[in-house]
Amino acid sequence: MKDYEAIVVGSGAAGGIVACVLAEAGKHVLLLERGRELSFADVGRDHLRNQRLAIYGHNAGPELNGNPRVFVDPEGRSRIVRPHELDYHNNAACVGGGTRVYGAQAWRFHPDDFRMATKYGIPSGSSLADWPITYETLEPYYERAEWELGAAGDGRTINHQVPRRRDYPLPPVPPSPQTLALKKGAGRLGWTTTPVPLLINTEPYQGRAACIACKYCVGFACPTDAKNGSQNTVIPRALATGNCELRTNAIVASIDVDSHGNVSGVTYFVESLAERRSVRSKIVVVSGGAIESARLLLNSRSRHSPLGLGNEHDQVGRNLQGHLYPRAYGLSTTKVFDGVGPGVTIATTQFNHDNEGIIGGGMLADDFIKPPIDFWYDSLPPDLPRWGIRNKQFMRNNYTRVMHVRGPVQDIPNPDGRVTIDATVSDKWGLPVARLSGTTHPATVETASFMRERGEEWLRASGCEKVWSAQPGLILSGRQHQAGTCRMGRDPKTSVTDEWGRVHNHDNLFVVDGSLHVTNGGFNPVLTIMALAFRSGEYIARQI
Amino acid sequence: MKTETLRTVVDCLIPADEFPGAYESGVCDYLQKLFATDLRDEAAFFTIGLDNIELEAQARFGEPFVGLTSEQQTITLEAIQQGDVLTSWQISPQRFFEMLVSTTAEGFYSDPQQGGNRGAISWTMTGFEDQVDS
Repeated sequence: MKDYEAIVVGSGAAGGIVACVLAEAGKHVLLLERGRELSFADVGRDHLRNQRLAIYGHNAGPELNGNPRVFVDPEGRSRIVRPHELDYHNNAACVGGGTRVYGAQAWRFHPDDFRMATKYGIPSGSSLADWPITYETLEPYYERAEWELGAAGDGRTINHQVPRRRDYPLPPVPPSPQTLALKKGAGRLGWTTTPVPLLINTEPYQGRAACIACKYCVGFACPTDAKNGSQNTVIPRALATGNCELRTNAIVASIDVDSHGNVSGVTYFVESLAERRSVRSKIVVVSGGAIESARLLLNSRSRHSPLGLGNEHDQVGRNLQGHLYPRAYGLSTTKVFDGVGPGVTIATTQFNHDNEGIIGGGMLADDFIKPPIDFWYDSLPPDLPRWGIRNKQFMRNNYTRVMHVRGPVQDIPNPDGRVTIDATVSDKWGLPVARLSGTTHPATVETASFMRERGEEWLRASGCEKVWSAQPGLILSGRQHQAGTCRMGRDPKTSVTDEWGRVHNHDNLFVVDGSLHVTNGGFNPVLTIMALAFRSGEYIARQI
Repeated sequence: MKTETLRTVVDCLIPADEFPGAYESGVCDYLQKLFATDLRDEAAFFTIGLDNIELEAQARFGEPFVGLTSEQQTITLEAIQQGDVLTSWQISPQRFFEMLVSTTAEGFYSDPQQGGNRGAISWTMTGFEDQVDS
């Protein structure tokens, strides 16, 4: 006798959608979330403790104490890290997951993003591979995500790179002075541009208000609830069916198997009661994000799966990837900041592919409004003194005159960038924690350098008198765009799931989140995570 | 914490012009709170650094830091920033200085609820807010 038809672990970008699709198909679903529901006030507006700048803490979970990870640096030295530290590679732990506080850029991947190995060959030391599905397969689900969550953009200006059948439901965010300067600059270079698509209500949509253009988008919660995440779209829909139960502060310890090794349900801790509970279901869907999903599979060991569920071929947790972000800054002769959020308005997809001598590429866009302390840490020219009157006067004169361009580049995956289980460190529940090690592939750094130069070029063409830039080196790149650790594929020896997210050799165990991404695109990945969730959700509903 | 030294030091880092300097904007209050809470474990480190600023001032110019000319203060702080110290430090001068500069900027530029940036004056100065409306 089963308690539920499906259990979904994690209520983020993917888990919320899977729960919604199953519940609306009449399936009895338990949605487990390790964090809690966060109100606007809970998330707050602390400039030093938020998802974007997390110096002393952050605002979207998990709690700083009791939830460690272990990070192994490129020299092989390991140390315990807490959730607000960069090397923790945190996303979030709350209802809605990262979508509670994300910037909500709503990019579809480029058709070539699904066939990188075929297009470029496989660089030495990398695990670059094609997806088992194409853009065309995913296209209807991208559309569904855009319409059901609510995306704002201009389909006509994106269409040249990424074909689409239907425009966005909402008009794009309006231009700012920076937009106009960058558009002119791109025109001089012969580059095409597009408004940045965002999962933000630029007009009232689905019963919720429009964006009021405040300065707190990425890293914070929306004051008018106009930013569309799992918590205010698909999860309310799931709950409204009466078929879905959401349990918060529920920390899943393991996926359970019966005496034959078949998945039978999960065991989780109820935080408020400090007790363990086991629940049974026909199907288990793991949607905890690339790090926690891998950790849960690896922590689910039995005599049938001594290395963890789905890990017969030592693939779970490998190919951890995210994005390196090259960034460029230019000093404009005029004020470009108008204080109108979200701030990100214009992008070019000119360089996502087909760059001479470069594998992949990336999208470049202007940036969300940066609070002054974020600007001070991130955006000052390297030749400016770090203190003294010159530093202050630069902040005073140029905070509103610096133009920002940045973007994610294709991460070339490799098997050594990975999540394993630490042998000695446990969280407050006694569960072994994730151990993160490795770096991205050197080819990623080359692509980042190429895109950084394009950023500088764009700013110079846009009339900036002084231009500077920065980029990461050979680091592990997971963080909020974490992906790849349970990649989909046809061969169980080199992948963890099939194209639906079904774990190889397990009929009723699915992973649905960024873990599935074979490659992570030269774009923010969330709309792809959502599209895959709609597609897998439909498929799973048919299996029950 | 040597409050008089700290007050003078933070005003070297973010001096007053038409807009207030670090001290007037509340950076010392921010730092007092920070080193009693999130950076509790670094408070002793920070205090040693401030004491060493005094020792460096004495070693270089035979005066307490607050008594130095503005140029002498700058020379002293630049030396510490570069690790070019004359006295014996039990801690890394560069690491201390980096912490000093960063936390001072945090107090000056972050949200007033942190204890600094009184009246959100740096937000007016930068143009982040035309007027305080948050």
